[in-house]
Amino acid sequence: MSTEMRADPGLYDYALRPPRLPDPPKPENDHLPIDIEVRVGMYEMQQLIRQTEKRAHDLFLQNLVKGTTHLSLGMEAIATGFARAMRPDDYTFATYRGHAHTIARGADIKKVLAELLGRETGLLKGKGGSMHLTDVEHGMMGSYAIIGAHLCIANGAAWSSQMRGTGQVTVCFFGDGTTNIGAFHEAVNFAALWKLPVVFVCENNLYMEYTPIDLVTPVEHPAADRASAYGLEAVLIDGNDADEVYVTAEEAISRARRGEGPTLVEAVTYRQGGHSRADPGKYRPSEELQAWLDKDPIKLYHQRLLRLGVPESRLTEIAQDVARRVDEATEFAKASPRPGPEHLLTDVWADGGSEWRN
Amino acid sequence: MRQLLTPSGDLVGEAPFGLDLCVRLYRAMVVARSYDRKCVALQKQGRLATYAPFEGQEAAQIGSAAALEPDDWMVATYRDAAAMWAQGYPMELLVAGRTGDERGGSPPDHVNVLPPSITVGGHMVHAVGLAWAERLQGSSRIAITYFGDGATSEGDFHEALNFAGVYGVGCVFFCQNNGWAISMPRSAQTASETIAQKAIAYGMPGVQVDGNDLFAVYEVTRQAVERARAGEGPTLIEAVTYRLGPHTTSDDPGRYRDAGEVEEWRRRDPLERVRIFLSERGRWDPEWQAEVEEKAAREVERAVELAESLPPPAPGDVFGGMFESPPRHLREQQATLELYRAAGEG
Ligand SMILES: Cc1ncc(C[n+]2csc(CCOP(=O)(O)OP(=O)(O)O)c2C)c(N)n1
Ligand SMILES: Cc1ncc(C[n+]2csc(CCOP(=O)(O)OP(=O)(O)O)c2C)c(N)n1
Ligand SMILES: [Mg+2]
Repeated sequence: MSTEMRADPGLYDYALRPPRLPDPPKPENDHLPIDIEVRVGMYEMQQLIRQTEKRAHDLFLQNLVKGTTHLSLGMEAIATGFARAMRPDDYTFATYRGHAHTIARGADIKKVLAELLGRETGLLKGKGGSMHLTDVEHGMMGSYAIIGAHLCIANGAAWSSQMRGTGQVTVCFFGDGTTNIGAFHEAVNFAALWKLPVVFVCENNLYMEYTPIDLVTPVEHPAADRASAYGLEAVLIDGNDADEVYVTAEEAISRARRGEGPTLVEAVTYRQGGHSRADPGKYRPSEELQAWLDKDPIKLYHQRLLRLGVPESRLTEIAQDVARRVDEATEFAKASPRPGPEHLLTDVWADGGSEWRN
Repeated sequence: MRQLLTPSGDLVGEAPFGLDLCVRLYRAMVVARSYDRKCVALQKQGRLATYAPFEGQEAAQIGSAAALEPDDWMVATYRDAAAMWAQGYPMELLVAGRTGDERGGSPPDHVNVLPPSITVGGHMVHAVGLAWAERLQGSSRIAITYFGDGATSEGDFHEALNFAGVYGVGCVFFCQNNGWAISMPRSAQTASETIAQKAIAYGMPGVQVDGNDLFAVYEVTRQAVERARAGEGPTLIEAVTYRLGPHTTSDDPGRYRDAGEVEEWRRRDPLERVRIFLSERGRWDPEWQAEVEEKAAREVERAVELAESLPPPAPGDVFGGMFESPPRHLREQQATLELYRAAGEG
């Protein structure tokens, strides 16, 4: 064809887009009926995720880790609120942006950092790395790099608990960009029809890689505005408020446990860093980034706990204790051996072997 | 649900076209039904491969196709021969395609209709691509794509509608909700109340229409086509209809659905209500009907003769029509075939 292509001018021009600013924090959520010790626990968990991930980033910059990493800096409240509302035998499915979810379910950060450093003591004996964190013992059923694919796998896990009648609930996390993939559509449609005990959580951080989500999505809320297509209610929450996440999670999870089927939650948030290690995130208006840094979930939660009467000294102690644990974990990881060649062909199949060719 | 002509032939709104066009579309529906029944008969005689009948869906297909310009794109399925024929796909090629002759999939250049898609949902993405390409080239040509209720559960449906919604692509998504996807009823297909409401997820209008009502189908499609042509973006239409026959000639619907349900839909026959409408306006009588049917039968017969008189395809033709320059492994297979044939003949 000889005709010249004419794209819409401005269609792809990020620079012309207005910044997407956060909704203001909700001081009224101070009054949500959540036990203060649960709240202090969620503060500690957010600190643990934040500090471990910052350390992971440093280790990457020191070239101690091969491959890439996708951090959840600024998104910690979502992993924390959901994990807190889950039963120990519930299942988590996450994306390559999965450190937070792994830690929130209770994985040992020594094993997490060792895994990132490719050491034998890691969660996956150093053979998985950042994008594949898995800890079955803690219900963390894996981090998946193929956009959308794990929603179908999560359905399978949920279906299995439905059949076995165990009351287990599966919580599946994914990004805003994922809502435009066919697998999202097939999975949510199927789960709604079969009333599977699954909660789909869209962590809407406003970007898919370097593309602002509104450039590629014809509706304002990528997940919430899709709910009606599956006969589900729209659930749109502030993903930077651990308490709001927690009460939403409790409700969705108990609904699923009662056999009333799935919930599709959209938690609006922001990643403070780039998409992955290699990305400085310069395509985002600085005014936008600043507004979201001001709405940092940990900073806001810290202020809430002070308003609720938790002494500053207790919070400082928690942060310092976490820092100590992260240092210890770092030393542990660095001192651990790399997996030897005898591990090369193990853990490929369920029986632990690699004899599939025979 | 939009309805203009009730099953008993009463007009409950304003007719979207005059009597002459109405007569023409009625004739087209008669031809379509004649074609459909002929194909079922031919399949039973072993002259056609598996066939997917559309009896009951004539108004949905003829009414929507009539709302297009002759050069608009159409991308449809195995059950949409009536729509494709109405948009200019030669009937003899439709028949030839069903005999298993690949030439049935190559319409003349001026016909902007793609060969029917067997892959459920996959073709919707192609329709979006065609419509988008037309827009990028500054043309006002639009595309319409046909699919069933079952196709709406496919990931391709989601990706196609999402893309069209984002870029405001001039594509009309025409869903014939015929109640069934093989043996799966609509109620087991999706938990959403209507298919039309799925449009919300893609920021486009969704309309539910009585798919057995020629008038309403024409009206809502016309509006969607005009919207698309004006650059205002896509529309999702849910035409509520019913497949009166089996899924294909190798299916026995008696195993999964009630005869009562079929009877109920027979009473909502899309041709009958137009017949009553025309008859009340002095444009229909039994002799005319006989004449229309006879003409239709002749047209179908002619197409079958043409299709069956095509010289049989050669074994090597199976390699044609896929690649502009075939990859090496296919060229090797082709060479091997030629060797065998030479050996066999020599
Ligand atoms: C099927 C598939 N297509 C493309 C990619 C490349 N890819 C990796 S991350 C990403 C963006 C995903 O964005 P989103 O779902 O919003 O998640 P986020 O990274 O923001 O958490 C893409 C397109 C992939 N991994 N899988
Ligand atoms: C991708 C794909 N999956 C499965 C099939 C098998 N198949 C052929 S027709 C059909 C049902 C489609 O139902 P619907 O979309 O409602 O269209 P209808 O046949 O009722 O016109 C299925 C599952 C297929 N052709 N393609
Ligand atoms: Mg169907």
